[in-house]
Amino acid sequence: MSAKSSSVGSEVLVELRGIHKTFGTVEVLHGIDLQVHKGNHVVIFGPSGSGKSTVLRSMNLLEEPDSGSVKVLGVEYGPGVKGEKQVPRGKAIELRRNVGMVFQQFNLFPHLSALDNIAVSLRKIKGTSVKDSQERAAIELKKVGLLKWAANFPGQLSGGQQQRVAIARALSMDPKVMLFDEPTSALDPELVGEVLAVMRDLAETGMTMVVVTHEMNFAREVGDLNVFMEAGNIVATGGRDFYDNVTNARAQQFIGSVL
Amino acid sequence: MFRSDDLPPVNFHWALVWENRWALVRGLEVSIQVSIVALVTSVAIGLFLAISRMSSFKPASMFAASYVNIFRGIPALVSVIWVYFGWSLLFGYNFTVFQAGVIALTLLYSAFFSEIFRAALQAIPKGQREAGLALGMSRARVFTSLILPQATKIAIPNIGSMYIGMVKDTSTFAIIGLVEVVRVTQNLNATNFQPFVLYSAAAVLYVCIAFAVDLIFRGIEKNFQYPPTGRISRFLTKGKNQKVAVLIAKFS
Repeated sequence: MSAKSSSVGSEVLVELRGIHKTFGTVEVLHGIDLQVHKGNHVVIFGPSGSGKSTVLRSMNLLEEPDSGSVKVLGVEYGPGVKGEKQVPRGKAIELRRNVGMVFQQFNLFPHLSALDNIAVSLRKIKGTSVKDSQERAAIELKKVGLLKWAANFPGQLSGGQQQRVAIARALSMDPKVMLFDEPTSALDPELVGEVLAVMRDLAETGMTMVVVTHEMNFAREVGDLNVFMEAGNIVATGGRDFYDNVTNARAQQFIGSVL
Repeated sequence: MFRSDDLPPVNFHWALVWENRWALVRGLEVSIQVSIVALVTSVAIGLFLAISRMSSFKPASMFAASYVNIFRGIPALVSVIWVYFGWSLLFGYNFTVFQAGVIALTLLYSAFFSEIFRAALQAIPKGQREAGLALGMSRARVFTSLILPQATKIAIPNIGSMYIGMVKDTSTFAIIGLVEVVRVTQNLNATNFQPFVLYSAAAVLYVCIAFAVDLIFRGIEKNFQYPPTGRISRFLTKGKNQKVAVLIAKFS
């Protein structure tokens, strides 16, 4: 089953076609098709082991598909769909510079302060000057409400704060698309809200987002395209009214158990 | 029955130690010089071996693994004899005793440091690498900017205790005539015949060095904490923190 964003006509930023992925002897993705339109917020949900993280990670090639097409901003990156004519492929590093990612475990660099997590990344990746990179880092930290904590190291920040720094770090690279891999799953319940608030603000700015999450209320709020996955397949998709009108029995059951 | 007064009287000339203190100290200097040069070379080669061993390029990883397993098993005494005499016999090139000592130590300890670095590099969560790649860093950049600094922190305490071992192993270089602590002790003993006194002094010197090395490496460790708590790094980051404070004031 393929999934397409509701706003037909707008530019497609990310397109997956026929993504197959095998870990060892287990095929975890059985041919995924997914389109992400500019400005849309795609929510991927489903039981653990259903392949939702793998779909997300194939969008920036942290997981290289065995076959299938990963097309981002009009450039082909994946190994290609079997049987199709091969086209020139872009380099993963160029893809990743246009696509930001936020991880479940935050993955801040523990040896750098919150400010340097952003500033050093900017310097090493974009070659920004020390002064410019620090100012940009300060601006990004301010946006997530953590400017005051700029000199703190990740170990001195709460999980929610760390995740907000991680979001700020990803945004400082000026990505065209942001990927969120269960960004609140490792957080204490009381800290989930602050991270979702930052993501909500980001969604309102019109950023194109793909979010793997179990936060169904958040999904209901921001999800332009909602994708339910099970056992390596997309089994149900829908637009803004998806959660009220879902017909697929498994999706209904899953939403019911999470809400 | 055995009675202690059957033995000839024993006199301990402890004053010998003080009289010959400068000879012993010079011996200690030589031990430290050899081991410090060898520390630098074996850390560099050890890191290179660790990277080779973890590489997916089979010949490189096999070479590194064999090197480690062979040289970890050779005693320092055998190593230095082989380097000093063997090299001369085989290739007709004579190392100085200092060079032979450095090379012998480097051959052995680069194998140990390789294992220390491998463990430290493997201890870095794979999320660090993924985060760097996802931001758009090259693999080389991920290694130099993210993995290596974090692995160094983990490796430092182990490097410290290895270095104490290196200082001690310089004692075997007495056999090729390197005038380090044990050689000095042997020479003094030859003229004074006070082995208990002189070797006790040598032991005390080694223990003192071990304490000093421990102290220094603890200091280094502190500078690698997140955030750094050591004096040097606090001094270095003082200006940086002031700049951050200015930045915060400017943008808030």
